[in-house]
Amino acid sequence: MIKLKNSQALEELRTELVSRRQMYSAVITICAGTGCRAWGMEKTAEMFTAELRARKLDKQVKLKMTGCHGFCERGPIVVIKPDGIFYQKVKPEDVKEIVSETVLNRRVIERLLYVEPGTGKKITYEKEVPFYSLQQRLILDDNGAIDPNSIDDYIAIGGYCALAKVLSSMAQQEVIEEIKKSGLRGRGGAGFPTGYKWEFCRKAKGDIKYVICNGDEGDPGAYMDRSVLEGNPHSVLEGMLIGAYAIGAQKGFVYVRSEYPLAVRNIGIAIEQARKYGFLGENILGAEFGFNVQVSRGAGAFVCGEETALIASIEGRRGEPKQRPPFPVQKGLWRKPTNINNVETWANIPLIVKKGADWFAQIGTEKSKGTKIFSLVGKINNTGLVEIPMGTSLGQIVYDIGGGIPGGKQFKAVQTGGPSGGCLPREMLNMPVDYEKLAEVGSIMGSGGMIVMDEKTCMVDISKYFLTFLLDESCGKCFTCRKGIQRMLEIVTDISEGRGKLNNINLLKELAQVVKDTTMCGLGQTSPNPVLSALRYFQEEYEEHITKKKCRAGVCKELVSSPCQHTCPLGTEACVYIALISHGRFKEAYDIIAKDNPLPSVCGRVCSHPCETKCRAGDAGEAIAIRALKRFASDYAYKQKYLPPKTTSSYKEAKVAIIGSGPAGLSAAWSLAQKGYQVTVFEALPVAGGMLAVGIPSYRLPKAALNHDIEAVKNSGVTIKTSTRLGRDITIQGLKQDGFKAIFIATGAHRGKHLGIPGESAQGVIDALDFLKDINLGRKVRLGKRVGVIGGGNSAIDAARTALRLNAEVTIIYRRTKAEMPALREEVEGALDEGIKMLFLTAPGRVIAQENEITGLECVKMRLGEFDDSGRRKPAAIPGSETIIPLDTLLVAVGEEPDTSFINEELKNLVAVNKTIVVNPETMATKEPGIFAGGDAVTGPATVIDAIGAGKIAAESICQYLEGSPIAREYSLTRPSVYIDPVEISEEEMLTARRAETKTLPVKDRICSYAEVDLALSKEAAIKEARRCLRCELELLKKDEGKKQSMEKASVN
Amino acid sequence: MINLKINGISVQAEAGTTLLEAARFYGLEIPTLCHLEGLSPYGACRLCVVEIGEESRSRLASSCTYPAEEGLKVRTASERVIKARKMILELLLASCPQSKVIQDLASKYGIRRQRFRQEHEDCILCGLCVRMCKEQMSAQAIGFHGRGNKRGISTPFDLKSEVCRLCGGCIHVCPACQLRCTYNQPEEAICGGCANISPPCLEKEKFHDMMCYMDPCVACEIKNEK
Repeated sequence: MIKLKNSQALEELRTELVSRRQMYSAVITICAGTGCRAWGMEKTAEMFTAELRARKLDKQVKLKMTGCHGFCERGPIVVIKPDGIFYQKVKPEDVKEIVSETVLNRRVIERLLYVEPGTGKKITYEKEVPFYSLQQRLILDDNGAIDPNSIDDYIAIGGYCALAKVLSSMAQQEVIEEIKKSGLRGRGGAGFPTGYKWEFCRKAKGDIKYVICNGDEGDPGAYMDRSVLEGNPHSVLEGMLIGAYAIGAQKGFVYVRSEYPLAVRNIGIAIEQARKYGFLGENILGAEFGFNVQVSRGAGAFVCGEETALIASIEGRRGEPKQRPPFPVQKGLWRKPTNINNVETWANIPLIVKKGADWFAQIGTEKSKGTKIFSLVGKINNTGLVEIPMGTSLGQIVYDIGGGIPGGKQFKAVQTGGPSGGCLPREMLNMPVDYEKLAEVGSIMGSGGMIVMDEKTCMVDISKYFLTFLLDESCGKCFTCRKGIQRMLEIVTDISEGRGKLNNINLLKELAQVVKDTTMCGLGQTSPNPVLSALRYFQEEYEEHITKKKCRAGVCKELVSSPCQHTCPLGTEACVYIALISHGRFKEAYDIIAKDNPLPSVCGRVCSHPCETKCRAGDAGEAIAIRALKRFASDYAYKQKYLPPKTTSSYKEAKVAIIGSGPAGLSAAWSLAQKGYQVTVFEALPVAGGMLAVGIPSYRLPKAALNHDIEAVKNSGVTIKTSTRLGRDITIQGLKQDGFKAIFIATGAHRGKHLGIPGESAQGVIDALDFLKDINLGRKVRLGKRVGVIGGGNSAIDAARTALRLNAEVTIIYRRTKAEMPALREEVEGALDEGIKMLFLTAPGRVIAQENEITGLECVKMRLGEFDDSGRRKPAAIPGSETIIPLDTLLVAVGEEPDTSFINEELKNLVAVNKTIVVNPETMATKEPGIFAGGDAVTGPATVIDAIGAGKIAAESICQYLEGSPIAREYSLTRPSVYIDPVEISEEEMLTARRAETKTLPVKDRICSYAEVDLALSKEAAIKEARRCLRCELELLKKDEGKKQSMEKASVN
Repeated sequence: MINLKINGISVQAEAGTTLLEAARFYGLEIPTLCHLEGLSPYGACRLCVVEIGEESRSRLASSCTYPAEEGLKVRTASERVIKARKMILELLLASCPQSKVIQDLASKYGIRRQRFRQEHEDCILCGLCVRMCKEQMSAQAIGFHGRGNKRGISTPFDLKSEVCRLCGGCIHVCPACQLRCTYNQPEEAICGGCANISPPCLEKEKFHDMMCYMDPCVACEIKNEK
């Protein structure tokens, strides 16, 4: 290598390099970033080298190991140029085929392409992958184009041109003005305008000045600085050179942590190469400017990212911050003026100089210019580095680029800015991301970490995690940082372990404010942010931990014991009955279920199984099939004609009336009967079971199974009177006169909502619920050949699948996409299997009728727009996209509301505007003494398990009311009632066990009858499945045992 | 000379003085635990925080390390300052309940409760001893080790120091590990006994070894008179 004398020489070298590169017919780039290395790219790369050599292609085909491409989720990543064919998850055994097919014949190998999760579309070219196409990769793009260890590569794409431009044609102040004009702000977090910082440093008194590149990236989950240093170290060097020239610095330091060995190596190589070409040293490119750079390795203390601590670390002292002023630009390294910028800031400089400040300033928002790299990690489909213009909305980052949340889980929050940042809830999804907006909502940009959290993340636990991190990483110099964080952690730990008190929250806030106010450096001042933002947006969750001993995410061990039991509204001891099944003790398993749940056969079939969503086995694998196991146990009892033993306590005189025999009514009746009360259930319909009997088709819930459960309820001492309607046959007043001391209203939500579109009153437009009810009661229904169903909930799917069984051609019309459908996943899939058509993003506009008889439905196409408060995207109509779907019948299933017309004048004030009955949700008591209500009549349409839960709560309250004690609900820590030995499992079983598949009837047998679709697990399958359970409750039992023993020991002593 | 405003009063300070020095020169009291004349400012205890800047954009800064700046507005006892100081004292009391210095300060600021889990540490890591040893005794026998809540003070590698001359300077400046109030019940943050009409410590023999938060207390005076 020769030293380049001037910019002319650089340009000549560049031209030569470019022409030399044209002799290659193809370039294979392999991502050699740390992420892809972890995926095993090194073996793949070796295979490529061997294969190219074997085929004697190494002169025509260039193999290039590049820096991080950003799409780390899909590594190892290989891109074949010039076409830009994008292969993901490439294994060594794919190499031969890639060379023979794609490199030599330009044929695409389908199986290595990226598949878009939503649409299933295969994408061939890198630039078309949505993850990339929605980004604006000013800095990261070059990572995929060059070999970081080749300065020639960097020069060939125009590297060091900006330096040449600055040295040959710009005065120092001109450079600073340019940077000021661009509006570039520090990418390390605080967002101080870079140009002004440079100016301060330039104007500071002193002959010797330094520039420092801050590469001490320590936020959990953030790795963009590492990727830039690893993948394009020369861009950082060039930025530092330009900065040093503008400021008048002679020496620079790159401060990198030792945990980044690849970054340390690559920047070291880059410095050597730059020195050989004469970009470092004296008289750079012939100008009167000399500069040298040295790498300084940090030992990985988080606080050393703070500039005064970083300086102390370079000087060889303890990495501890110092009070500013004086600022480093006045007195920094060895008390000389020092300018510190973050890696990403430096990498932006050459771009601004090359393309101009005006070009840069038009990207981004008013006060935040340019792009920002975020590392998108956590519960997100596309983990990786994303570079987006400032002002992109959070929702776009999470959903469009990040691909949403894995496993169809709910988005809960996104944490920006690392431990010093804050958690932003789903209401913020529409927020444009820039410095101001993030600060406004209580977070910070930080270096750009973005941790996505789903519903299985507990906000108290997250606060605990970050505080633990900060307590460890605080240098400990300031008293308020050291002790303040420790005390905050103590309080949060108390809350997460069930010892919290409500006034803890205020103390926490008070303390957090003082820590924020009084500590010396950025670490301490921002350390309360995770707590403060969690309290700002999720205080309810904190309070729930304290008052209800409930962790809705199922995370906080001491409260939860096992998430399945904790999450179940009935507190069903799933972990225990699963353990019993694993030992083959099926009858006992059924008893455990029946202890808490009056309707095991029903729940074993139609429960929305929140327990499975929270199951820990699902965190890194597949959740236990809890519902299928429950069904197995209840089927066992059914076959044995076994009813749970009657556990009635002492006889009590008082009579209680229950209105409605749905899940809420039955469960309240059962609970009260067990306590010894005289319970009568009044049911308006001719059959008992409410919505279970008439709303759910029998292919999902066979009548025999339902009746077995109802039989068990009756067996506990409950009388059920059918065909007795409140308001027609009986009245509240009348019941009171008949001596009923308490009344529980559980009349459900049976009235379907209207669409509110023109023509709705035409013949052939039927409410889906009425349709299902008529079918279930064996009444005749007139149904046309072409049936449309509007809605995406369980009722819509039920109606559609029932219509299909009546020989109709069924189309479901839903205004959002499949991912947003509220119906149970397995139901949607079942419907698709049976051949039901689904039109997504389609909304009804008007019903077309001839002679008041429906002939079709005019629909309009929708597209998903902004996010609403539920975190789902609001559909918006696309004008001019109207189409007509010919239909003979239209089933409407757009939600239900309670029919509370039976409520007379006297009790009118119990009903809310939306026709639901108002109760105290804690106790189910209405304002009227002695009258309680629960289930869908209170909540509007909800799940079976919630209704059963409401019934049980109401029963407790009614009991308290009848005993004359104050009505209040008590909460306790979740614990199993018995200990069951764990089973022994071989390593092989552990590794090979998979979730038990629920077998279904073949489609051809399904669509001609109402036979139950889901088949039961076999005995062997059930035991095998139960053995997979992680038995979360055992960990705590052991701990509790230890505590008890140590307490006993202490008392003996 | 630098002109600045402290608590609304226009004052002057020599270039290079800190806000703490300036305030004390004018007789304004600011409590400190890690500051001692003759030792370099350190800014660790945060008790000396003062509010600086214009009302709307003001912030708290430790006065012992903040240089007097031309035109700066300083408030040494604003509501925000007092609130912060009280919380810091409460935290101190929770960690070192038996330090007389801390008890006295807590008493002065009217702290009557302590809401954190009681600890019994004998060090607040103010670093006075480390600086004393280095700057005044030129020994550098002790220094800090560890990080965060594992931070501590000791000799290198916890070995008996060869440079220590057992001068006792470190103990002399320590606000926490000096003689303690032995009457105080360990589980109670503030003894408060001396606020009684007949203080219980009167019955103890060596009362002058005791630390209590009323300084000097009734009991001491009665005893001294005898």
